[in-house]
Amino acid sequence: MTDRDDHTAPEGDEMLAAEYVLGTLPLAERLAAERRARDDAGFAALIAAWEARLAPLNDDYEEMPAPNLLPAIEARLFGTAPARRPFWQRWTSLLGGAVAAALILVGVFLVSNTHAPQGPQLVATLAAQGQPLVFTARYDEATQTLHLTRTSGPAPAAGHDYQLWTIGKDGVPVPQTLASATEVSQKLPLAPGTTLAISLEPSGGSPNGKPTLGLVSGIVKTL
Amino acid sequence: MSEDAISDLLVRVAAQDRAAFAVLYSATAAKLMGVSFRILGNRAEAEEAVQEVFTRVWLRAGRFDASKGRGMTWLISIARNHAIDRIRARPDAQFDGDDALMTVADPTPTAEATLSAKGDARRIADCFDTLEPDRAAAVKGAYLNGLSYQDLAARFSVPLNTMRTWLRRSLLSLKDCLES
Repeated sequence: MTDRDDHTAPEGDEMLAAEYVLGTLPLAERLAAERRARDDAGFAALIAAWEARLAPLNDDYEEMPAPNLLPAIEARLFGTAPARRPFWQRWTSLLGGAVAAALILVGVFLVSNTHAPQGPQLVATLAAQGQPLVFTARYDEATQTLHLTRTSGPAPAAGHDYQLWTIGKDGVPVPQTLASATEVSQKLPLAPGTTLAISLEPSGGSPNGKPTLGLVSGIVKTL
Repeated sequence: MSEDAISDLLVRVAAQDRAAFAVLYSATAAKLMGVSFRILGNRAEAEEAVQEVFTRVWLRAGRFDASKGRGMTWLISIARNHAIDRIRARPDAQFDGDDALMTVADPTPTAEATLSAKGDARRIADCFDTLEPDRAAAVKGAYLNGLSYQDLAARFSVPLNTMRTWLRRSLLSLKDCLES
């Protein structure tokens, strides 16, 4: 623990906001600052003020041509079938954007109503296009056990954990097992249409029952 | 495109206007790609980051407040924060000596008046000129390239704590200069 004294007084808040905007804080402190800014309007205002102060530096960023990513972005946000109600709209109206955006990977886990009676194993892939991080979920209905395997991508950085979330029809993410190991299993009942998601959390999992940080959000996949 | 135009587009995006979202993308993607690439240093990852940034823009546009800042500033903040989150989350990213989650004291928010939305670019440039050149370069390297304290300490051949002190003092000097 170093420099704790700098972060306690109001002046410490000022410096914390400045260092957050500057970008030099290590991830754990960045996460803590982002979380705090969501609930603490005074602290959020300090961050906004520093963003405004340093904004003239943005002129140094040069434009760089990108391929047309808009179709991929729209597919993420709105799905490919326009007639269907956009997943993110439904989500965000229920949850607010912050929570929705805080999920790294999202996959829809559709439990078929017409499955064979012996209870087949249903699978879902939690991944976004081109992302290095991929999870495969396999649900064994006979034992009501979800098996989650990280099939691609790194373990979380030190001091952090991946965490599994389930989102039912009410749209509220419910924290489940930590998913930092390559393979984890959890016994849990899964209703048809449940969404699975993975977030990045401080070590030990979400401190407040809500997803903390997303690095990417994923395309909804129905299987 | 003027700043006002981007703010207007964000207001329309907040109302779930997909046409406005497409226009906003066309107007700002190259800049946000430039931000993402400069910090991430990798084109493929920058493209992924831009996708995520626009996803967040759609989801968070309702929180944009045109009275408190420029649209482009808001967009670049999202892009910078996302890119910096990514590099700090890389498995090889080491902590700068702080390995525990910070315990944030219950604050008495210092309700600072938000800086004028139309902050004076000339003024901050003058204020940067009042810093020692090394320190001004360190602040810019952190902000523009997402360099960590460790990166900066190595680059400027000073101890980590010295770099931290440099940056903190420089930031406070900038603030004082801007408010004077």
